[in-house]
Amino acid sequence: MDWIEKAVREGKPALNEYEAKQLLADFGIPICREALVPDGETAVKAAREFGYPVVLKAAGERIQHKTELGAVALNLKAGKEVREESRRLLAIAGCDGLIVQEMVRGERELVCGLIRDAQFGPCVMFGLGGTLTEIVADVVFRVAPLSAADALEMMEEIRTAKVLQAFRGQAPVDREALAGILVAVGAIGSQFEEIREIDINPVKIRPDGSPVAVDALVALRSAAAVRP
Amino acid sequence: MIGPFSDAYSLILWRKTMNSKLGPFFDPRSVAIIGASAVPGKPGCEVIRNILANGYEGRIYPVNPKGGRIMEIDVLPAIEGLPPDVDVAVIILPAAATAQALVACAERGIRHFVLASGGFAEVDEAGALIQEELVRIIRERGLHVLGPNTSGHTSTPRAFTSTFFPQGKIRRGRVSYIAQTGNFGTHTLKYILTGEHFGVARVVGLGNKIGIDETDALEYLGADPETAAILIYIESFKRPLEFLKAAREITRRKPVVLLKSGATEAGRQAAMAHTAAMASPDRIVDGMLRQAGVVRVSDYTDLILAGKAFSMLPLPAGDGVSFLAPSGAMLATLSDFCVRLGLHIPPLEAENVKRLQDISPSYIRMRNPVDIWPAALSSGVESAYREGMEIVLQDPAVNAVVPVMMLTRETGVPDPAFIVDLAKKYPGKPILVTFSGARECMDEYKAALEPLGIPTFPEIEQPFEALSILVQCRRAMTRPR
Repeated sequence: MDWIEKAVREGKPALNEYEAKQLLADFGIPICREALVPDGETAVKAAREFGYPVVLKAAGERIQHKTELGAVALNLKAGKEVREESRRLLAIAGCDGLIVQEMVRGERELVCGLIRDAQFGPCVMFGLGGTLTEIVADVVFRVAPLSAADALEMMEEIRTAKVLQAFRGQAPVDREALAGILVAVGAIGSQFEEIREIDINPVKIRPDGSPVAVDALVALRSAAAVRP
Repeated sequence: MIGPFSDAYSLILWRKTMNSKLGPFFDPRSVAIIGASAVPGKPGCEVIRNILANGYEGRIYPVNPKGGRIMEIDVLPAIEGLPPDVDVAVIILPAAATAQALVACAERGIRHFVLASGGFAEVDEAGALIQEELVRIIRERGLHVLGPNTSGHTSTPRAFTSTFFPQGKIRRGRVSYIAQTGNFGTHTLKYILTGEHFGVARVVGLGNKIGIDETDALEYLGADPETAAILIYIESFKRPLEFLKAAREITRRKPVVLLKSGATEAGRQAAMAHTAAMASPDRIVDGMLRQAGVVRVSDYTDLILAGKAFSMLPLPAGDGVSFLAPSGAMLATLSDFCVRLGLHIPPLEAENVKRLQDISPSYIRMRNPVDIWPAALSSGVESAYREGMEIVLQDPAVNAVVPVMMLTRETGVPDPAFIVDLAKKYPGKPILVTFSGARECMDEYKAALEPLGIPTFPEIEQPFEALSILVQCRRAMTRPR
């Protein structure tokens, strides 16, 4: 993982979304199918491989909260749409590539995250995700490293724990898999001093109940903060 | 002075205890009072009065340059005159004189200290400097220090206390308290001793925590055979991760309840991530405590309610509760309250519903919770409560029972002995008694029941609050690893 150190040395505030998800995948966290491509034509190629519909996102380390920047195009159903949206996204300031993703189905959105607390060190968060996550603020924390039992307990503690049960014809959430994500997020925090914060929002729940990381932010500490 | 050893294991435990940081504080063979005084009302006098009132059997060495006698004990004029085997020194001197006394005691071989005076970092810059000096001394010399600015500590199994708050005899019990406040070891304990019937095993006032901290105290009490449950009031964690590690194991053996005040210790950094925006110190402490199996309470009164419950009751096997009340309004509001507390009011087995129906006029539909007053009117107060309680105690879904006793002279006050009998007959199921009616009748019940191990609560919500704490502790104890 030299590239994390490298990113810190270069003074980057965060990994880009593609790098962030590769890091999660390296720790066994399921991520959606995606490809980082330079332009519209290669985006169309990737989209064909994944199968339509797809999601297209602007990539760049300064692009963090994409919805606010209009840097996400959802539910693109054909090559023409992918080309058009590619042009629009590449024009956004700071955009230096495109991420093509499978369009993950499923209505439930959770959030997993990590912060570095001054007293307790890396702490893992779990809760209800999506764009309203901060407003609903239905989240709980645990100090890393987490046991699987800790992770399972977190799922019982949120007010909206019912969302993990069978829901509108969709299967109950695979709690073991979800616990695996939380334990892995804690492990990442314990292993990499350089990482200041992680948001995986949303962790989408597919109709079969399996969780998948659809968007991720990995914020880095400044070089000075890591090695005073 | 050495504890009673029923077996080799207890002896090993005791040896371990005496070699620990805290052991001698709770089992001192001898104590020196530096700054002893003959003037009633002065801390240096009250501490000796307290030690004597508790019947401490070890040796007491008051030290004061004036010499003479205090309460018929010879006063040594100087620390240098102390014998070489003093286990604990209680230093009650102005802040500025404390460091010098600490060094002089250390020279006499004393390793354990209670620094009772205030005037250190909690007051001003000058006090903070003196405190730093104390920290340097205890590190250099490997001393174990409680305080400064502590209300002292208590160990009823050894009839010892270092508190200077006039307590008199401190009742022995099986719960222990750790408090980062002078309030607990002084007037809260005073209330428990005068207003309640339970006692304490150990009390530790942490003060400014320059030496002994909450994790040290927790580890000691976790291994302490005298302590059945631990209650903590704390403002901040000195070694948060060590606390988590110790509590994680201890809470599988005995209940630990904690009240934490004070909001933020750490400045919030500007948040890039949602996670950081939502990571309030309170949420993180909450998560840490759940991870540790520590039951967090939010009211100061819970420290007393839970202390009483732990002192008298077994932990319930589950969250199923039954209660018997004399009014529909109480049945409804207490049901809502149970839901809020996470207590479950299970339906009773059909046979038990039928038995309840048999003791009641037919116009009342009997179920859990139990509407008991019509039965009391038809078959007598004692008979109705006794039969009703026994039926719900026998139900396998019920883990604890709360009778709301309606007591007035006019309606009749049954002999509370029937509740004692039921508690003996069903020892695994906590019975918590509360009341409605005449205050004097409630007080009579309290005086009769509590010395026999049945807790009573003057307000109808309190037994449920206490029960919810017990249920959470049981859950923490049996939680998966």
